[in-house]
Amino acid sequence: MIPANLLSLIIFLPLLGGLVVLAFRRHPNPCRWISLGTASMDLFLILSVYLLEIRVHPAGDWLIVEDTSWIETLGIRYSLGLDGISLLLIMLTSFLGIIVILVSWTQVTSRVALFHFFLLSMQTGVLGVFLATDLFLFYLFWELQVVPMFFIIGIWGHEKRIHAAVKFVLFSITGSLLMLAALIGIVVVHGSQTGHYSFSLFDLVGTSLSSNLENWFFAAFLLAFAVKTPLFPVHTWLPDAHTEAPTAGSVILAGLLLKTGTYAILRFAFPLFPSAAGVAVPVLMVLGLSGVFYASWIALAQQDMKRLVAYSSIGHMGLIIVGVAAWNAMTLSGSVLQMINHGLTTSALFILVGMLDERVNSRQLSDYGGIWRKMPVFSGFFLLFGMSSLGLPGLNNFVGEILILLGTFKVQPAAAVIGFMGMVLVLIYVLRLIQDALFGEPRTDWNVRDITAREALILVPFALLVILIGLYPHPFLDLVDGPVRNLVLETGTAMNTGAM
Amino acid sequence: MMDSGWLVILPHISLAAGGILIFCAGAFMRRRASDIIPVLAFASAACAGVSSAWIDPGGPGFLGMLDGGGFSRFFAVIFSLITLMTLVFSHHYARDRGFAGDEFYGVLLFAALGMILVAGASHWLIFFLGLELLSLSLYVLIAARKNDPASNEAALKYFVMGSVAGGFLTFGIAVLYAVTGKMDISAGLGSTMTADNRAGLLLGLSLVMVGIGFKISLVPFHLWTPDVYQGAPAPVTAFLSTGSKVAVFAALLRFSLCSHEAVWAYMAPLFWGLAALTMIVGNVTALAQTHLKRLLAYSSIAQMGYVLMALLAVKHGGASAVVFYLAVYALMDLGAFGAVAVLSGEDRERDDLEDYRGMGYVHPWRAGLLAVCLFSLAGLPPTAGFIGKFLLFHAAIQAGYVALALVGILAAIVSVYYYLRVMGILYMRTGEYGIVPRTGILGDGAGMVILALLLLLGIVPSPLLTAISNIVASLSH
Repeated sequence: MIPANLLSLIIFLPLLGGLVVLAFRRHPNPCRWISLGTASMDLFLILSVYLLEIRVHPAGDWLIVEDTSWIETLGIRYSLGLDGISLLLIMLTSFLGIIVILVSWTQVTSRVALFHFFLLSMQTGVLGVFLATDLFLFYLFWELQVVPMFFIIGIWGHEKRIHAAVKFVLFSITGSLLMLAALIGIVVVHGSQTGHYSFSLFDLVGTSLSSNLENWFFAAFLLAFAVKTPLFPVHTWLPDAHTEAPTAGSVILAGLLLKTGTYAILRFAFPLFPSAAGVAVPVLMVLGLSGVFYASWIALAQQDMKRLVAYSSIGHMGLIIVGVAAWNAMTLSGSVLQMINHGLTTSALFILVGMLDERVNSRQLSDYGGIWRKMPVFSGFFLLFGMSSLGLPGLNNFVGEILILLGTFKVQPAAAVIGFMGMVLVLIYVLRLIQDALFGEPRTDWNVRDITAREALILVPFALLVILIGLYPHPFLDLVDGPVRNLVLETGTAMNTGAM
Repeated sequence: MMDSGWLVILPHISLAAGGILIFCAGAFMRRRASDIIPVLAFASAACAGVSSAWIDPGGPGFLGMLDGGGFSRFFAVIFSLITLMTLVFSHHYARDRGFAGDEFYGVLLFAALGMILVAGASHWLIFFLGLELLSLSLYVLIAARKNDPASNEAALKYFVMGSVAGGFLTFGIAVLYAVTGKMDISAGLGSTMTADNRAGLLLGLSLVMVGIGFKISLVPFHLWTPDVYQGAPAPVTAFLSTGSKVAVFAALLRFSLCSHEAVWAYMAPLFWGLAALTMIVGNVTALAQTHLKRLLAYSSIAQMGYVLMALLAVKHGGASAVVFYLAVYALMDLGAFGAVAVLSGEDRERDDLEDYRGMGYVHPWRAGLLAVCLFSLAGLPPTAGFIGKFLLFHAAIQAGYVALALVGILAAIVSVYYYLRVMGILYMRTGEYGIVPRTGILGDGAGMVILALLLLLGIVPSPLLTAISNIVASLSH
C-alpha cells in the first residue's frame, strides 16, 4: 500500500531522524548509525518510487502530487509535486545524504549529535525545495536550507569559519528577501486580476504582467537563484564557504545547495516570467560564460586544493546556466543531467581532498606530489574524478556538456564556440591539479595509508555512477525528457515573444 | 444599548483584586507573605486570562467606555499570558536578588491592568487612565532592584522621558476633544475633516502620536529604550518590551481602524516616515552593540518599525497581519529577555555578549530558547517570526506600499547580521562560562512553552490567523 503523503514522508523523514539523534547527545556512535539508517531509508523510499514506478494522483508529467490546505486566509497551500526532474534531483539528494554521514564518520568527533541533526535537517530543506509547487512553501524550504548550513560551516569549519558562515547567509538572505518581495508582488497582481489569491505555481504561471513589472520580478527571482548557483559576479561567498566548511559541508554545498539555484531558475524563474527571461537570455549567457572563463582562470592560480575545486564548481555551474538560458529540449536535458554530474564529480573531488587533509593536515598543493606512489588506489580514484571533471568522453560530464554545447550551438553558435574554448581552460587546471598532486617526486617523506574500506565504500558508488552516466545516460535522460519538453513548449513560446 | 458592565470588567477586577490582596498580604502577614504572594499573583493573572478568553460580555460596558469585543479580549488574553510568563521568569530571579516583596508582584498586576485598559479603551479617558497606570507601575518595576544604581538610573530616565511624553499625549487628547467635541475614540477620529477642524485634528493627532511613539519607541522617540532595557532587571525588561508596546500598539491599531479616510490620508505619510526611520535606525544601530540587552532593545525598536509598516495597510485588510505579529513579537521578546534572565548570574546580569561564548553547549535549552527567539526575530523559518514577517510584508505590498516594503526588506537583511553574530557567539566560540546560575524548573518550563509556541505557530499559523481575522472583522464594523 502506498501512503497518500509519500512525498511528505520523504521530505520529513530525515528531520525526524535528526530530532531522534538529538536525544543521543552523549553517544556519538548511535548518532551516526541512526542518521545512516534514516538517510538510507529515505534513499530506499525514493528509489522505490523510481524502480516500482509508484504514482499517486499523477497529472501530466507530475508523477506524484500532494495538496492540502495550509494557511487558508492567504490562499497558501501545502502542495508538493514530483516529476522526472525533481525525481532525479531527490535521488541525488538522498544519495549524497548518506555519503556525507559516511564521510564525517571519523572526521567529525565533537558535538556529533548536533552535527547529524543539522545534516539531516539540511536534507529536509533541500528535498522540500525540489518538491514544493506552492511558492510560499518553496520559499520556506529555500530559507530553511540556509540555517543548518550556517551552523555546519560555523561550528565544524576551519579557522575563518564564522566569517565564511555569516557571509554565506548574508548573500543568501539578500537574494531571497528580495525574491520574497517579488513573490508577494506576483501573487498580489494575480489576485487582483482574477480575484483568486493563490501561491500555486500552476495558477501563477501565465499571469499577465506589464513588462516593466515582469522584468523587476524576474530580476529579483534571478538574483536569489543566481546567488545560490552561484553565477558570476555574485559567487564570492562560495570559495570562502567551501574552504572553511568541513568536507560534509562542502559536499552538501556543491552537490545540493548549488543545484537548488539552477533548479529554481528552470522551475520557477523562467516559467513564471517568460518574456522577461527571453529578454535576459543574452545576459545570462554572457554571465554564464564569464563564469566559466573567470573561474577557470582563478582556479589556475589556486594553491589550496579545496579552493581550486570550489572555483571549478563556479565554472561548471556557469555552463549549466548557459544551457538553461538556451532553453531548448537538448540543453535543458543537458543542464539537468549536468546538475547530477556536477553533484557527483565535484562532491567526489571534495571528499578526496578531505581525505588528504585528514591524513596530512594540509590542503596546499605545494605540500603534495607523488601521491601515486604512496596511495595508488586513492590516486586511481582521484584521476578518474579529475578526468570526469574535465569532460573526458565516456565519463559523465562529457554527456552533459556535449548536450549543452550542441544544443546551444543550434540557437547561439557564438556562445557555444566560446563555451568549447572554456572547456579547454578546464582541461588545463584539472591536469595541473592532477600533475602537481599525484605525480612528481614525493616532496615530504610522510607515511600515509591508502584508503580504508569505509572510504572505498564511499568512493565506489561515485565511480560507478560516473561511469554509468558516461556510457549509458539514457535512463536518466528519459526521466527528464517529458518535463523538459513541456517546459520548452509552455515557456519557450512566451519567451520568444518577449525577445522580439 | 445593552450595558454589560460587570462582565466586561471581570479581568480588570481579577487583576485589581489580586494586586490589593497582595499588598494586604504584604502588610498584615509578614511571615508567610513570601509563599502566598507569588501564588496570589499567578492566580489572579490566570483568572484574568481565563475570564477574558471564555466569558463573552456580549457588548461594550460602562457607557461604551470599555470595549468588550473580541479585539480587546484577545489582547487581554495576551497580556495575561505575558504577565504569567513574567511572573514565572521572575520567581527565582526576584527571590535570589531580594526584591520579591509584595510591591513587585502587586505593581506587576497593576501594570497588567493598565495594559488591558489601554488596549480595550474606546474612550480617551480610559485610554489615558490605563496608560498612566501602566507607566507609573513600570517606573516602580524598573527600579525593583533598589540597591542597583543602573536599575534606578533606568527608572529615572524612563520617568522623566515618560512624563514629558505623557504631557504631549494629554495635550493632544485635549485638543482632539476641543476640536471634535467627543471623548469617544471612534466617534472622534471618525469625524470628517473640514476646513475648520483640520488644523486642530492634525495637531491633536500629532501630539498623541508623539506620546505613542515614545511608548512604542519609534525613531526618533526611541533614545530611552536601550538604557532602560539594559538597566531594568531582565524579567521586567521582558514585561516592559512586550506588554507595554503591544498594549499601546493595539490602541494605535484601534485609532487607525476608526479614523476617517480623510484623517488617515494625512496620518499615512507620517507613519510611512516613522516606519522607515525606525526600521533603518533600529537595525543599523543594533549592528554596533556589544551588550545583548542593548542589542535586543534596538532589535525591538526595529520590530516596531516593521509592524508600523503593516499598520499602513490597515485600511486594506492589513490589520490581522499586525495583530498576528504583535502576538508573535510578544512571544519572541519574552523568550529572548526571559532567556537572559535565566542565564544571568546572581551578582550581575549576563549582558556582555562575550559572556555568552559557547553558552549553547553549557545550557543547551536556555541558549536554545535564546537562539530560537533570535531566529524568529530575524524572520527565519520554521519559526513564527518567519510567518509573521511574511504577513507584514504581504500586507504592505498588497496595500501598495512597495517602496516602504523594500526599505523594510533591506533593513531586515542588515538585521540578519547581528542576529547571526549572537548565534556565532552562542555556538561557534568557546569561553569562560562564569557562574552557572540556578533557576527553578518554572523558569525553564516557561521557556519551553515559548519555544514550543514559536515553532508551532511557525508551522501551523492557520488557527490563530483565522481567529484573528474574525476578531479584526468584528472591530471594523
